[in-house]
Amino acid sequence: MELSADAFHENAASILWRGRHSAILRYGFSVVSVAVALGLAFALRYYDVRDVELPVLTVAIALATWYAGVGPSVLAVLLAALSFDYFFTEPFYSLTVSPRDLPYFFIFVVWAAIVASFGAVRRRIEEGLRHARDNLQVEVEQRRHREDEIRKLNQELARRATELEASNKELESFAYSVSHDLRAPLRHIVGFSELLQKHASSSLDDKGHRYVRTIRESARKMGELIDDLLAFSRIGRAETRKTAVNLQQLVSEAVAEIEQETQGREIAWKIGTLPVCYGDRSLLRLVVVNLVSNAVKFTRMRRPAEIAIGSVDGENLVEVFVRDNGAGFDMQYANKLFGVFQRLHLPEQFEGTGIGLATVERIVHRHGGRVRAEGAVDRGATFYFSLPKVPDAAERRASAP
Amino acid sequence: MTTLGRILIVEDDPNDVELTLTALDDYNLANEVVIARDGQQALDYLYCRGEFKARSTGNPAVMLLDLKLPKVGGLEVLQQVKSDERLKTIPVVVLTSSNEEKDMMRSYSLGVNAYVVKPVDFHEFVNAVKELGVFWAVINEPPPGSVTR
Repeated sequence: MELSADAFHENAASILWRGRHSAILRYGFSVVSVAVALGLAFALRYYDVRDVELPVLTVAIALATWYAGVGPSVLAVLLAALSFDYFFTEPFYSLTVSPRDLPYFFIFVVWAAIVASFGAVRRRIEEGLRHARDNLQVEVEQRRHREDEIRKLNQELARRATELEASNKELESFAYSVSHDLRAPLRHIVGFSELLQKHASSSLDDKGHRYVRTIRESARKMGELIDDLLAFSRIGRAETRKTAVNLQQLVSEAVAEIEQETQGREIAWKIGTLPVCYGDRSLLRLVVVNLVSNAVKFTRMRRPAEIAIGSVDGENLVEVFVRDNGAGFDMQYANKLFGVFQRLHLPEQFEGTGIGLATVERIVHRHGGRVRAEGAVDRGATFYFSLPKVPDAAERRASAP
Repeated sequence: MTTLGRILIVEDDPNDVELTLTALDDYNLANEVVIARDGQQALDYLYCRGEFKARSTGNPAVMLLDLKLPKVGGLEVLQQVKSDERLKTIPVVVLTSSNEEKDMMRSYSLGVNAYVVKPVDFHEFVNAVKELGVFWAVINEPPPGSVTR
């Protein structure tokens, strides 16, 4: 592109050299052409070559037209016509034209005028070319400007990506040291309190035994919290593999799995029709398992426990709900439900670390959906999550071949 | 239980060393244990150099290797051992707190013989160490000519 533009520029410059010369030079060139042509005509006549004045003068006019432009070409025609009349038509050395030579002279003038008109045409073409060149230059300039802008944006993007990568790495190394370094002292607390109990069991009274047991219990609990936190952070970092997911099948699988651990319980399951949505199957399974396990856990004291799972179809999103008749919660704390390690019940009432709903929220957000909950104390709770039914535009582009 | 192979434990944490020894002691496996406190010491032992110049030759029956070690890391030790003709037959068991997938993949690709995550629970920990000790030092047949008993 750049090269051809330059070539065009050079070409135009050679055509337009006249434009860079002053008027005096151009008119001078015209006069000199005609004078040289006259000289040549006289010389040829001296050597007895007849009737060549006309072509020679026409050549002079053509030269002036070609190289010097419209004005000089008109001057050349005038000068040539006058000198032709003066020197080469009878009566010689007078500006009068004999009737016999009148057509001859007239043809010369017309011929000269035609040649001169080529100059005008040429000028128009030249104008057009110059205009095109200017346009092209502007366009090239604009394109360069745009390219610069794109390059700048790309650089910015690359910088952001590097930053993101760095902070991701940092997060990963943080998770790594949590996983490795925090576990070791925990193991020592458990191990040595166990050894203490074994070693000093005779010298410890009931209180002492209880203290040691509490130490061990707390350390075990901390181990659970660390594991949950690591699993939670892995969900944020893991790559998602999104496909069409049959929610009906997913929910019945999850329910079947959880039902195995509900022996002795009386649970009335009510599962409505569920659509196909778009997402990462294993992550969505985690969402369903978390919500259904919660429903099972918080309906422990109900006989029968009622758990309903269903969906509300929207335009682009589908909203799935899990409803139970369990312990419920006070709506004024609804915003705390999805926080990491947030619990609304005492550990003696319901076990758990408080990571489940945080995990649910994180997964649903990663799918571009939303979570919410409704409930009342002792009157059950309903948890909703929405999911996209089809991949969004960016994902469609990414998955297209 | 008369012919026990030697167990090389590479572990920097003295508490972990004590717990491991306690676990092995419960099953009379603690006699032939050699402790290396970092990767450098472990390699010195394996190559009979430095402070281990005078030790009787022969490879240990098993090496229990922690990954996070001062000076030379566990993975480096593993790489060195598995790339040395004389040492590559030593069974290496990674015994670590890390259950990161990255560490496991790296260890297995370097040719580790087993990967055990130290359980937080003391009983589980004792059981794990005991089973490792019994399996590798008693049940498992080491490569012929490699181990001195």
